[in-house]
Amino acid sequence: MPSLREVESELRLALLGGDDEPARTRVRGDGLEPAARLAIYRHHVVATLTAALRTTFPVVCRLVDERFFAYAADRYIQTDPPSGPCLFEYGAGFADFLAEFPACRSLPYLADVARLEWAMQRALHAPDAIPLPIRVMQGVAPDLAASLTLTIDASVTLLSSRYPVDRIWRANQADEPEPAVVDLGVGGAQLEIRRCGDDVVFCAVDPSVFAFRKALAGGADLAAATAEALAADSMFDLGKALTELFADGLPIALGSTPSTSGDHPCQRQP
Amino acid sequence: MIPGGAAAGLVGIGLRAPHVAEILATRPPVGWLEVHTENYLGGGPAPRALDRVRGEHPISLHGVGLSLGSAEGLDPGHLARVVALTRRIEPVLVSEHLSWSIAGGAYLNHLLPLPYTEETLAVVAAHVTETQEALGRPLLVENPSSYLRFRNSPIPEPDFLAELARRTGCLLLCDLNNVFVSCHNFDQDPVAYLDALPARAIGEIHLAGHAKNDADGRVILIDDHGSRVSDEVWALYERALERFGPRPTLIEWDTDLPALAVLLDEARSAETILARSGAGGGSRALAA
Repeated sequence: MPSLREVESELRLALLGGDDEPARTRVRGDGLEPAARLAIYRHHVVATLTAALRTTFPVVCRLVDERFFAYAADRYIQTDPPSGPCLFEYGAGFADFLAEFPACRSLPYLADVARLEWAMQRALHAPDAIPLPIRVMQGVAPDLAASLTLTIDASVTLLSSRYPVDRIWRANQADEPEPAVVDLGVGGAQLEIRRCGDDVVFCAVDPSVFAFRKALAGGADLAAATAEALAADSMFDLGKALTELFADGLPIALGSTPSTSGDHPCQRQP
Repeated sequence: MIPGGAAAGLVGIGLRAPHVAEILATRPPVGWLEVHTENYLGGGPAPRALDRVRGEHPISLHGVGLSLGSAEGLDPGHLARVVALTRRIEPVLVSEHLSWSIAGGAYLNHLLPLPYTEETLAVVAAHVTETQEALGRPLLVENPSSYLRFRNSPIPEPDFLAELARRTGCLLLCDLNNVFVSCHNFDQDPVAYLDALPARAIGEIHLAGHAKNDADGRVILIDDHGSRVSDEVWALYERALERFGPRPTLIEWDTDLPALAVLLDEARSAETILARSGAGGGSRALAA
């Protein structure tokens, strides 16, 4: 007799579009071909996961049409099925999949539109956090400021694209009956996506601010993030950038890079 | 106990995202609300709204992702998230399914059927026990709707559920639409199925609609939760109440979700049948 693990492994193979012969031999016909019974399950798995992807990537779906989206989703589900049961977390690899999917070559911006939609999905469901007030900076000893790190709210993504994905996204909302023509010649976009209250928002960010926030979000300390920002724009103003960063509610915790001190440079203010 | 106590308080409806705002605004007279656990395991507006809803209505957490029947074991990270939500929401009921969804690390997004063997019974019982110990409370386990049976599956499903309840102390969620769908699909008698379940272990009843699909000339019922409860399932509900006594009862609707009023209307139909069955005396009340 097959073990439970074998039965489940065989069914998994059949449901993800692989060989269904091993699973068929385990199934009773009960008046139907075993393959027809397996097909009921396979249809449900693919239809519901496709619907989940369509919910997360509505603009990608609108750009390629429903039928092509279902085709691409079917292939994606086979190669990268969900790793967990929270479907709002499914689709992290969809943009990379589209970038490599030969049938999408004529739409070079499609993967970046998917990256924008994924960032919005992440932002919507990111853990809730309480932003730090800017006065915590007053407690940082001046000689330790350079090695200060700021944990950025988990809803934030800094997304850079060679294409105007923000314009493409706005032109393809469901309430726009006819998508406006977007001129790809207007250039790329550097966007910050985050949750604000119950809403997800995104906006274009200046190159130096983008570099500064992206470096901080990646774990860089204040000195390294400032260097990145100055490389993008030699007129970068650190004081103004910090004031705006806290005003936007992005820092949620302070720390320090380990090279200078094992201790935190400051304590969070009550 | 919940306010009202008798038939009205025993009937709940499944709460889906499009109805949340209306529920919060109108506070309809419904006994309790059941949500899918996995939709509330992140941050943001959805769990915040649930926090508001729980201030007005008792909540039941109905899980679809623990995969109690997975041979490779429960995902400890997912179980920890379910436990954390349960502590925050303090639900009146916590339930899951007799099924599996995860193999080789892939989540297949379906309540997949199990071969009913001694090996499977040991696996599911161990996972129910692990879950109950993590939750610190009994779990309700729901009978699945099925479209296939395994050749090697010697234990009848109701016997399997009865033995699971006996070994683990879990309660059973008897989904009458699932009983009807599975029994139709395998030419079995749904009344005999109910009669084989242990009445004392039944902690909740689910009611929903199903679809009829043609598969090679044979009608296969699909548990799509996309219509009103069928007459046959209402008849089965009367039979179940006779056999089990009054139980917390849920109207479930997922596909083609109608106006909230339609769900409340279905809930009133269930209340009428419950009241006729003598709800109040000896009923299994909702208790956190």
